[in-house]
Amino acid sequence: MSTVTAPASAERTARAEARRPAGRPRPRSRKVSRPAYGAGLGAAVWLVLVLVPLYFLIATSLRGSGDYLTEGPLSIPETITLDAYRRAFEVGFLRFLTNSLIVAVGAIALVLVVALPAAFAIVRSKSRVVRIGFTLFLLGLAVPAQAVIIPIYLIITRLHLYDSLTAVILPTAAFALPVSIVVLTSSLRDVPGSLYEAMALDGANNFQTFWRLVLPLSRSGVVTVAIFVGLNAWNNFLFPLVLTQSSETRVLPLGLWEFQTQYGTDVPGLMAAVVLSALPVLALYLFGRRQLLGGLAAGAGK
Amino acid sequence: MRRITRPHMLGSALVALALGLTTACGTAGPGTEEDAAGVEVWVVEDATVNQVVQTAVEAYSESAGIEGELVTYANDAYKQRIQVALGSPEAPDVFFNWGGGNLAEYVNAKQVVDLTDALESNPEFRDAFLPSVLDVAKIDDRYYGVPMQGVLPVVLFYNKKIFDEVGVEPPTTYDELLKLVDTFKKEGITPIVLPGAQAWTELMWLEYLVDRVGGADVFQAIADGEEGAWKDPAVIKALEMCQELVERGAFGNNFSSLTSDNGSASTVLASGKGAMYLMGTWELSNQIENNPDFVADGHLGFTAFPALEDGEGDPKAIVGNPSNYFSVNADSAHIKESIDFLVQHMASEEYVEDLIEIGHVPAVAGIEDKLAETEHAEFTTFTYQLVSEAPTFTQSWDQAIPPAAAETMLTNLQMVFLGDMTPEEFAEAMEATQ
Amino acid sequence: MTSATRVQRPGALWAAPALLFFGLFGLAPIVIVAGLSFTTWKGLGTPEWAGLANWQALPSDKLVGSGILITLSLTVLTWATQTPLALAFGAWAAGPQRVRAVVSTIFFLPLLLSTAAIALIWQALLDPNFGVPAQWAELTGLSANVLGDPDLALWAIVFVLLWQFLPFHMLLYQAAAKQIPASLYEAAEIDGAGPVQRFWRITVPQLRHTIIASSVLILVGSMTYFETVLLLTGGGPGTATRILPLHMYLKGFSAFEMGYASAIAVLLVVIGTGLSLLVVRVSGYSQMTSEREGAS
Repeated sequence: MSTVTAPASAERTARAEARRPAGRPRPRSRKVSRPAYGAGLGAAVWLVLVLVPLYFLIATSLRGSGDYLTEGPLSIPETITLDAYRRAFEVGFLRFLTNSLIVAVGAIALVLVVALPAAFAIVRSKSRVVRIGFTLFLLGLAVPAQAVIIPIYLIITRLHLYDSLTAVILPTAAFALPVSIVVLTSSLRDVPGSLYEAMALDGANNFQTFWRLVLPLSRSGVVTVAIFVGLNAWNNFLFPLVLTQSSETRVLPLGLWEFQTQYGTDVPGLMAAVVLSALPVLALYLFGRRQLLGGLAAGAGK
Repeated sequence: MRRITRPHMLGSALVALALGLTTACGTAGPGTEEDAAGVEVWVVEDATVNQVVQTAVEAYSESAGIEGELVTYANDAYKQRIQVALGSPEAPDVFFNWGGGNLAEYVNAKQVVDLTDALESNPEFRDAFLPSVLDVAKIDDRYYGVPMQGVLPVVLFYNKKIFDEVGVEPPTTYDELLKLVDTFKKEGITPIVLPGAQAWTELMWLEYLVDRVGGADVFQAIADGEEGAWKDPAVIKALEMCQELVERGAFGNNFSSLTSDNGSASTVLASGKGAMYLMGTWELSNQIENNPDFVADGHLGFTAFPALEDGEGDPKAIVGNPSNYFSVNADSAHIKESIDFLVQHMASEEYVEDLIEIGHVPAVAGIEDKLAETEHAEFTTFTYQLVSEAPTFTQSWDQAIPPAAAETMLTNLQMVFLGDMTPEEFAEAMEATQ
Repeated sequence: MTSATRVQRPGALWAAPALLFFGLFGLAPIVIVAGLSFTTWKGLGTPEWAGLANWQALPSDKLVGSGILITLSLTVLTWATQTPLALAFGAWAAGPQRVRAVVSTIFFLPLLLSTAAIALIWQALLDPNFGVPAQWAELTGLSANVLGDPDLALWAIVFVLLWQFLPFHMLLYQAAAKQIPASLYEAAEIDGAGPVQRFWRITVPQLRHTIIASSVLILVGSMTYFETVLLLTGGGPGTATRILPLHMYLKGFSAFEMGYASAIAVLLVVIGTGLSLLVVRVSGYSQMTSEREGAS
């Protein structure tokens, strides 16, 4: 996406330039009207569809546990109470949150540590083993994790990892590897060979090349991978469901589900837990919004 | 998935997940050395019941001078976990199970200690239990488990206020039930609340109707794996009656998306949008939690499942969850101690009183007086009488038959209620699982 | 590249950790599951050799055929709903107007919620007695029976997935659309092209790489909708939304027919690999070096 100035478009720009009345300032590049009416109307409709459930979520979390069913889903709560939030903390929300964060960070770190060198090898190595390995990763792109949940369960119990957070991190990271390697590889493969040659001329070995050239250049890919793996880990439901059991190792999605089956009637409490679980991600988003857009543009647009 | 969450809801009072009990959790590592040291008891996480069990384990540890340990597991993980652990060095000494077909699986794998001799040499202990409940742990005439918590039969709940307003009485016969269906339908009230998103709630109707039409033997034959048992005319007839109820509008138009998970089914009854609700006795605690005023104002009515005039079944017979059971692992290094623990504590006065304290109706004879003093005495006494007078207590089918057959049964039953499968097709499909 | 011989190249060792790790948790399980598919195993005790029994049972299991069909329908439907909407909204949101930036930030919000949370919210919202359908049924006389209607349940899942994943794909398009040179639009405007024409003539062709990338992610992700379906409908009503991964899960962990479930799992792996091949072919991901190498 980064290099799209084809000659034809340059020519058209020149023509446009020529026809523009003199004296009028050149419009700032972004101030161009874009298709708006249809999309704008659609966006308005979608805005409602996004906001209604979110309103429901927040309004419900502020209701008393008995009021939820009687007041109607979209009514304005008659009395506002933070009771549901208190109950969410009581069932161990903080522990679920910590567990989920550990799993997400652990999986991201693990993936990056093994995938970055692998991507480097895939782009630069002439080894047959690497080529075959890359093919395996490609074939694994769409293989669903559910398919191998039974043997994963077996392997995890044999390794005596059952009911630990490591048990969740390992397969989560493994199944995120194919996509991560593809993303990292595609962000690295546009690095011109001359850069590597320049490094070599400076006498850099593989490790130095990796550290000083590959790492900085793959930053956008790293952001994309971190988001992808992080979201996967954050959302993961099946691995924790099958590989953990105690409340000490319960992650958020499972915690929410348990909340529903165990305290079935407490929808406000459930919704309060959902709101709380979104806050860390919201903070991350606000913090890294610019990075995210840049990373996505560079990493996934290729 | 959801069907195994059901026994879990009993007494689902608002107690936090993490009681002090869970300290023992997460012993997934090689526990052999620990095993050698004491009796390890595995149980499904249930804050109120586990406290009672914990007290018993502690009392036993103290008196026997041997260390006892309670390990709790989240409900859904438990079946998977015990399935894999039994036969491995990580297995517990005493383990929680659902009796019936669930227990039979372990018995057939020769992983459960035969408790018959222990029961016979302690007749007082044996006779303390209600026979219909104890019998659920009987496989091929031998006992493999003892009840460890309260009974949970399925009963017909109704909204007294709505019944009064419409001026009708709760049904005692199936014909009366059908008439009530028509009456409530005319009033614009859903006659019977059915959370059909969960097939096990539909199963309750089939269980009772088969029992009323053909008697308890019909399902016994199915549970015993007899050939042609699913094609018994009583099964076909009962399935047809289910479909007739659907067509008659007994369950309203939306039953297939109604769920009991988020409490909406309970509230449909309490709010008067629905008139009757066939559910396990744990529904009382759901109502107390979700619609406290409805219970406090005395509007929650309950009655036995109606009799079928021309049916062969005994109108006093019941279905539901007789109890959960403790069994002893055949590979345990502490078989004797484990049996001692069960014999000394599972019918002891303290244990029974503790169970009553948390709202259970223990499967123990002669506790009428104690129940009369409880907060919801009318209901617990009703439940107790229902169970003690019942000639048979048929275990929920999904627990009584092997898991593979249960899974197929629940899926197909939902199709029957949706009208996408005929009773004959259902019987045919189930016969294939025998 | 003339001096390539002098440049030190990384050996296979650099890829070894990733390969070993993926081998242990990705490939070994596939081999094991293939082995288990020839056994009878209830999770209790040890698996017993069963020969081809599980495989012979597959064709007569109607839920396998319907499961594949429902899985494929779900994939196609999610792609067909998410791609055009994400493209349109993404291009719209790339505009400089402040209101668009604000609105697109709101659009992003569902991405903050986990799959489980979203499924539970929608389950409560779609409740036939106390949810939104109950109210619209009163107003319009339409059915309030959404998740329980075999004809509607799949569409409800498609909608919930759209709600969940649209923001992500929209972001992709938004980010890419911002990089389309404004001069292209200016030129088109001067040529008299209206907004719609500009969208088709400039935006869509310029975003073709993003369309591929986003489609690939949808295809790859479609095998993971399992969790939404499990939580929202459990595969019901009846078997109306029982996708193949869910069928496998229920056979394995509810019916404890691990051997048979493994046979379904192998089927899933085969379908997944086929999908991967398709993806690789469409996207050109298999190139190890850029076709534009040396161009910039």
